[in-house]
Amino acid sequence: MTPQSPVLLVVIPLIFAFLTLPFGWWRKGLCYPITLVALSLSFLASLHTLHTVITTGTIHYWLGNWEPPWGIEYVVDHLNAFVLVIVSFVSLVVAIYSKRSVEQELPEKIVFFYCVFLLQVAGLLGIVVTGDMFNLYVFLEIASLAGYALIAIGEDGAPFASFNYLIFGTIGACFYLLGVGYLYVSTGSLNMADLFQILPDLYQSKVVLVAFAFFMVGVGLKMALFPLHVWLPDAYTYAPSTVSALLAPLMTKVGAYVMIRIMFTVFKPQFCIELIPVTTILGWMAAGAILFGAVMALAQTDLKRMLAYILVSEVGYIALGVGLANRAGLTGAILHILNDSFMMLALFLVVGAIMYRSGKREISQLRYLHRRMPFTMAAFVIAALSVIGIPPTCGFFSKWYLILGAIDASQWAFVAVLLVSSLLNVILFFRVIEHAYLEPDEEHAGGGSELAITIEEAPLSMLVPILIATAGIMVFGVLSGKIISTVIQFAVPKCF
Amino acid sequence: MFDFILSKYNYWIYIILMMIGFYAMIGKKNLVKKIIGINIFQTAIILFFVSTAAKRGGTLPIVEHAHGHGIHHIHAASYVNPLPHVLMLTAIVVMVSTLGVALAIVIAIYRRYNTLEEDEILEQRK
Amino acid sequence: MRVLALLTVILTGILLFFGTQDMPNWADPNSPASIHVSPRYIEKTLEETATPNVVTSVLADYRSYDTLGETTVIFTAGVACMLILRIRRRRRE
Repeated sequence: MTPQSPVLLVVIPLIFAFLTLPFGWWRKGLCYPITLVALSLSFLASLHTLHTVITTGTIHYWLGNWEPPWGIEYVVDHLNAFVLVIVSFVSLVVAIYSKRSVEQELPEKIVFFYCVFLLQVAGLLGIVVTGDMFNLYVFLEIASLAGYALIAIGEDGAPFASFNYLIFGTIGACFYLLGVGYLYVSTGSLNMADLFQILPDLYQSKVVLVAFAFFMVGVGLKMALFPLHVWLPDAYTYAPSTVSALLAPLMTKVGAYVMIRIMFTVFKPQFCIELIPVTTILGWMAAGAILFGAVMALAQTDLKRMLAYILVSEVGYIALGVGLANRAGLTGAILHILNDSFMMLALFLVVGAIMYRSGKREISQLRYLHRRMPFTMAAFVIAALSVIGIPPTCGFFSKWYLILGAIDASQWAFVAVLLVSSLLNVILFFRVIEHAYLEPDEEHAGGGSELAITIEEAPLSMLVPILIATAGIMVFGVLSGKIISTVIQFAVPKCF
Repeated sequence: MFDFILSKYNYWIYIILMMIGFYAMIGKKNLVKKIIGINIFQTAIILFFVSTAAKRGGTLPIVEHAHGHGIHHIHAASYVNPLPHVLMLTAIVVMVSTLGVALAIVIAIYRRYNTLEEDEILEQRK
Repeated sequence: MRVLALLTVILTGILLFFGTQDMPNWADPNSPASIHVSPRYIEKTLEETATPNVVTSVLADYRSYDTLGETTVIFTAGVACMLILRIRRRRRE
């Protein structure tokens, strides 16, 4: 019997999204527990899926029991299942965190917020689990529409930032749809596995080349790969803090997943490497992203905007791993999808907690935070160490594999880029930590102000998710060898 | 050459339409014009998909004499391809939804800045 | 900015023009899309779904999961509009 978990993990958030409206109108307070139940069930389903994939191999789930090229098929292999668990776990953690932050920032809109929140998660999961090109587009649009709305309800500049995101996101989705159309015209199929079989005969066709170009640009826009990232900093700066914490780790990573899926399992790796030099171009774009993101982050005074630019740089790491197109590089890229999700989750959660308590997020205003919010700031430091890449945090291991991959490919420029970016990150985070931990001399000498500082730690419902994310960073660092040997080595396409 | 242009005329029309829409999306300063651009772009894609469904000599995909004449053999070549039509029904719905959300965001922008011109909004944001 | 937009558009147009050279002719009954997956829908629709309208049978049976997605998109858009516009009204009161 085919396990039902692949379809359940998408349908459960979907059904509960419908349920939040009637229950929310009856009792507003019910939305939060409903969301938690939905995402917990979805997370369990994704764990079951991963377990099934590890023990029995790839799952093929025929929706409506129509066989693949005619009907829609869910295909879950190691790569899918891995990303599914990340998406459902991160969204569960953000949901736990959301309670106080939503009550403070959006008191009027709790019901609709949780409904769209669940739809967003369902959309992201649907993108990851599907094996059909057009079905992917439909779920991409669900996730995008929910994302535009969630960003638009943020602070002052949010609607305009969201509008820009909508324009770029729609261009991306339309380009993706055009790519699907071009592949359909030249093959007659929409199923990924079927396309994989048919396409090799058509690699010389100009239609297929153009389709591939449109896929890359469309997905590049969605995952905010430099120089297509222009919508990202504004959107994630002005969004409500819960939404930034949900979208920043997930939306870009799901985009990266779609890119890996299209490059290596719809097209064959040799198409992207030998026939047209996509991986080389991608590698250089990624190197640009890493340096540009880090340098721009240095120039920011707003902590949240700084994190948004760091995210641009982190997307570059994943793209660089894909661009290296060898086993170590791809291992690094896939491992970085996990690590970066947790690093970004922890960082954005911490910023949200700081804003919840003090309403401030200018880097220069962070003074005395280590005394007011000791646990939160400790979490921030650990996440920062991970972004810099210091063992035993998980960030070290994915960078290690990326550097190994770059050495394997004899791309010394990329090795240099990776090392320089680590240095830039050290400066970046030292600046923040200096403001938060070191006290200015004159006030220190006065001594009077020290007494006034009391511990104002974030509420428990916010602190626990922050600690979970931080624990994740440490645990995945320690277990990274095991994660690679049980999941990731099978997730890397066979021919590498 | 003339043959080449004529035999693929549906693609030329859709490419021109798509370029108009795309330019409106990224080149125009007025937010509503940008939204109109989105719609033209998506209409072009719909035109492209639907035009690929056509078959010379094919009629619309509703099986003739389906009831009461017993099962007879149906030739696929005598009906146009139904799949692009189905995909585009979904794409139209997506298009309408995007339009709705975009207009809602534009209303929120207008309430805040009292204008829909991009440069005036950027001026106010400084 | 406007020049950049125009350049992007023209570049996209050239790319599309380049791709169109290998496209099947309009209304070609032997194009790949007409002979690979779609014939089954037309030939088996009566037998498998008992629906003479093939578009209906594909929309509501073969690819009905897309249609579920489609209705979800509309639902998302509706809730999204309410989410975006609601607070502004409250604030004005």
